[in-house]
Amino acid sequence: MFAHLTKIALGLSLAVSFGSLARAQDMAMPAADVVLTVSGNITVTNDGDLLRLDRDMLMALPATSFETSTIWTDGVHDFIGVSLADFAAMFGMRGGGFLATAINDYTVEIPFGDAVTGGPIIAYLMDGELMSVRDKGPLWIIYPYDSDSAYRSEVIYSRSIWQLDRVEIVQ
Amino acid sequence: MFFTILPTNRKGRGIAFVAGLVAAGAIALLSYNVSREIRLLGSARSDNVQWSLVQTQVEFLEFAQEIERDPVDLTKLRQEFDIFFSRMRTVNEATVFEALRADATVRQHLADLSRFLDEAVRIVDVPDAVVLQQIPRLGMLASEILPTVRALGNSGLDISAIAADSQREKVARTLTQLALAIAGLIGMLLLAILYLYQLNVRIYRRERENKQTSTRMSTVMGTSLDGVIVCDAQGLILQFSPAAEGIFGYAEKEVLGRDIGAVIVPDHMRKAHDAGMERMRENGEKRVVGKGRVKMEAKHREGRVFPVELAIQSAMTDEGEIFIAFLRDISHRVAAEAELVAARDKALASEKLKTDFLSTMSHEIRTPLNGLLGNMLLLRDTKLNPLQDRYVGYMETSGRLLISHISDVLDITRYDAGKLSTRSRPVNISALLQAIVDNQKSTAAHNETSLHWRWIGQNVGWVLSDHDRLQHVLMNLIGNAVKFTRRGKVSVTVENIGQAQNAELMIKITDTGPGISADLAERIFDDFVTGNAAYDRVAGGTGLGLSIARRFVHALSGEIGVDSVVGEGSTFWVRLPVVQTEAPEEPIADEMALPLTRSLDVLLVEDNEINRMVAREMLVAEGHSVTEAHDGPQGVEAANGRRFDLILMDISMPLMDGRTATRAIRSGDGPSKDTVIVALTANVMVDEQQAFLAAGMNSILTKPLSRNALRTLLSQTSRLATDEETNMINKSHSDETREALGEEAFVKLRSRFVTEVDEYHEWLISDEARDFLEIAARTHKVAGSAAVFGADELRKILRAIETAAKAGNITRIRANVAQFTASWTATKSQLSR
Repeated sequence: MFAHLTKIALGLSLAVSFGSLARAQDMAMPAADVVLTVSGNITVTNDGDLLRLDRDMLMALPATSFETSTIWTDGVHDFIGVSLADFAAMFGMRGGGFLATAINDYTVEIPFGDAVTGGPIIAYLMDGELMSVRDKGPLWIIYPYDSDSAYRSEVIYSRSIWQLDRVEIVQ
Repeated sequence: MFFTILPTNRKGRGIAFVAGLVAAGAIALLSYNVSREIRLLGSARSDNVQWSLVQTQVEFLEFAQEIERDPVDLTKLRQEFDIFFSRMRTVNEATVFEALRADATVRQHLADLSRFLDEAVRIVDVPDAVVLQQIPRLGMLASEILPTVRALGNSGLDISAIAADSQREKVARTLTQLALAIAGLIGMLLLAILYLYQLNVRIYRRERENKQTSTRMSTVMGTSLDGVIVCDAQGLILQFSPAAEGIFGYAEKEVLGRDIGAVIVPDHMRKAHDAGMERMRENGEKRVVGKGRVKMEAKHREGRVFPVELAIQSAMTDEGEIFIAFLRDISHRVAAEAELVAARDKALASEKLKTDFLSTMSHEIRTPLNGLLGNMLLLRDTKLNPLQDRYVGYMETSGRLLISHISDVLDITRYDAGKLSTRSRPVNISALLQAIVDNQKSTAAHNETSLHWRWIGQNVGWVLSDHDRLQHVLMNLIGNAVKFTRRGKVSVTVENIGQAQNAELMIKITDTGPGISADLAERIFDDFVTGNAAYDRVAGGTGLGLSIARRFVHALSGEIGVDSVVGEGSTFWVRLPVVQTEAPEEPIADEMALPLTRSLDVLLVEDNEINRMVAREMLVAEGHSVTEAHDGPQGVEAANGRRFDLILMDISMPLMDGRTATRAIRSGDGPSKDTVIVALTANVMVDEQQAFLAAGMNSILTKPLSRNALRTLLSQTSRLATDEETNMINKSHSDETREALGEEAFVKLRSRFVTEVDEYHEWLISDEARDFLEIAARTHKVAGSAAVFGADELRKILRAIETAAKAGNITRIRANVAQFTASWTATKSQLSR
């Protein structure tokens, strides 16, 4: 409820062209440090079976933003990132789920059902700032907790993984 | 009965509603609480706190491992440090750790850890070469802080456990409250069910009562002999009972829902009916409803209009006001009533006709008879030879017999009209019987029959009874016995069969005549019953004699009867209660003529020439001067021309009757307006005599004129004429009273006195005054009043009347009454002076 979702026009147009390109050819190799490695049953790759994404590549994907409070931070914050729905669409997912793993190897399973419009995002900006590892960065899966009491459950809290660096797509 | 339950019903409903509302409210509130608790549990704001704290230790240890590693992987070291740093930041900032941070010990641990991180950051965030030199120091710092990290993890566990306990307790409490509220609600529901059950029972019972009532009502309606019609306020028929069907010729289903006016109201009354209904609808005005039984006309299906009696009542129902009419066809009753009324009218008319006829006949027969008798009286005064004298005697006997027949008829009329009264006065039974026996002796001798009378036992002597009636009865019975007995014996016995104080006479007349059959004996006292027709021809008779005797005996409170054996003879008996009395002071010497003091100037108004002649001759023979008038107008004219001492006025005259003429004289201004006017009439009906007095007449002379009655009247009038100017009022007495009472009270009392005496006078000269004792009593009273006003003359006369009444001297009473009449007229005029 408090979170309002904003589609960014540019991101949308990019996603459309990017989506159509994805099946035609492999993605380009990352130019900077890799922040997210996608593995599993995917067609879009750039390093063997893997898709490695640097921060710019990630930020080039369609972005979604909302405001919400979290139980780990003080007050309401503005988060921007790639929605899990868009992320799943990128890989043409119809079901299954995501195995999300943090830098410290902490892994949770996020079912495909969570990847809905108005659902969680893979946030890379908090209040317009990049997040460092010391501040749960660089990537953090954030649900719009304030918009729905269903997102304020322990299961959801456990899926809100921070210091995310790997995702395995299970279809 | 339906309406009394309603308030409780409403109240019960209200209470149930409020109670339900309270219970529902409580449950809603508690449900909200429970759902909040559940939401709080579901939100699990704190459930990963413990895990996070444990993770703090894990991540610290991983960081510490990297320090110990040889050779040191700086990248990995820095990463592990960053992870731990991030964790600690979370613990320091995250809202979920607020409860934890509230604890002082935890705050101390966190402060220590912050200091450690500050120092570690200074070591880690430098170029690699410098870091490598500082590794031992970092390891030392880490080993120093390790217990703090452990303590933090443990304290988190304790605090979380306490928080979880309190949370559980809260939930348990709320659930208990909810359970109680639900129990309450269930209780309430049970009560509601109980209430609804009772309501249901009540409704069922009422329903059954209603059904029974309605069954009863329809039975009543169905069996009512009166037609019952129920209609609504619009006049539309709702019910039409079987009796109504019979009365009006319609079946119920034909008329249901139809306008009652169109069905049963006759066409000529429709307008009035519709207007009445309209009035009732508009202002509730009810002219027939609730007014009890009303008679009206109604219309049959065939258009026939017939009378009905109806009563309408209204009642309020849920569908509005209804009207219940009970109707009864009263055609038969109305017809019967009309018949009865007609029959009664006819009976009354014929009764009146009979009375009128008798009255007229008595007058018409008496007038010529009076002429005859009067002339015979005058004839006796002339010189007659013995043979002529005997013939005149026979004629007189026949005439008197004829008069007595007429009197018989009139007596019956009077008795039947309840007007027959008796006058009790001293009667000497012995003298009476002797006179009758003497009278009948010659007839008995003619029939070669012996006639005797005697007392059985003690001679009673004088008794109080009606002399004339008794004489009539005994004359009739003895006369009959003598008449019907040939060569036989008639014996009359009289015996006192009563007690000492209550004398009762038994008079028996026994003959040896032909006797009477048992059949005839039963009817012999009825009207117009005569014996053998052959005998009738011999003996003659109207057949009224015995029936009159019966009436007279009954009027005297006695009994009459007959015992007879055919061929042996009959015994008629009369039983008569009487009061024994003393012999009157002086013998009844009627014939004592009063001396006249002077000659009177008399006006004689009489249309019948013979009667006029008789009266004139009598008056002239007494030495009075007579002026004659042939009819009413002539009489009035003569009275206005001169002052007369006395006016004798016939009643039945053509042109103007005596009453009208009297009124004309009295109301006029003529010199004779105060003259004594005496009615001359053969008409002896009581009510008519009253009317004469009311017309202003002073007294009545009954025709045929008797010389004695005329003489008495004349002597009183002449005396009055002499004394006319004497003072009737003793002034000194009257003035004393006036002073004592005051003028106003005196005048009032005086007018009361006048009324009293007027009433007394009227009563005295009427037929009612026949009882001596009563006359004495009333006279005494009036005499007392007269003394108060100093009416000495009047009082003297009243005293004389009283004395005469006590002595039973009728003649003296009569004489004094005439005197009283004159005296009162004078006294009255002087009283008001």
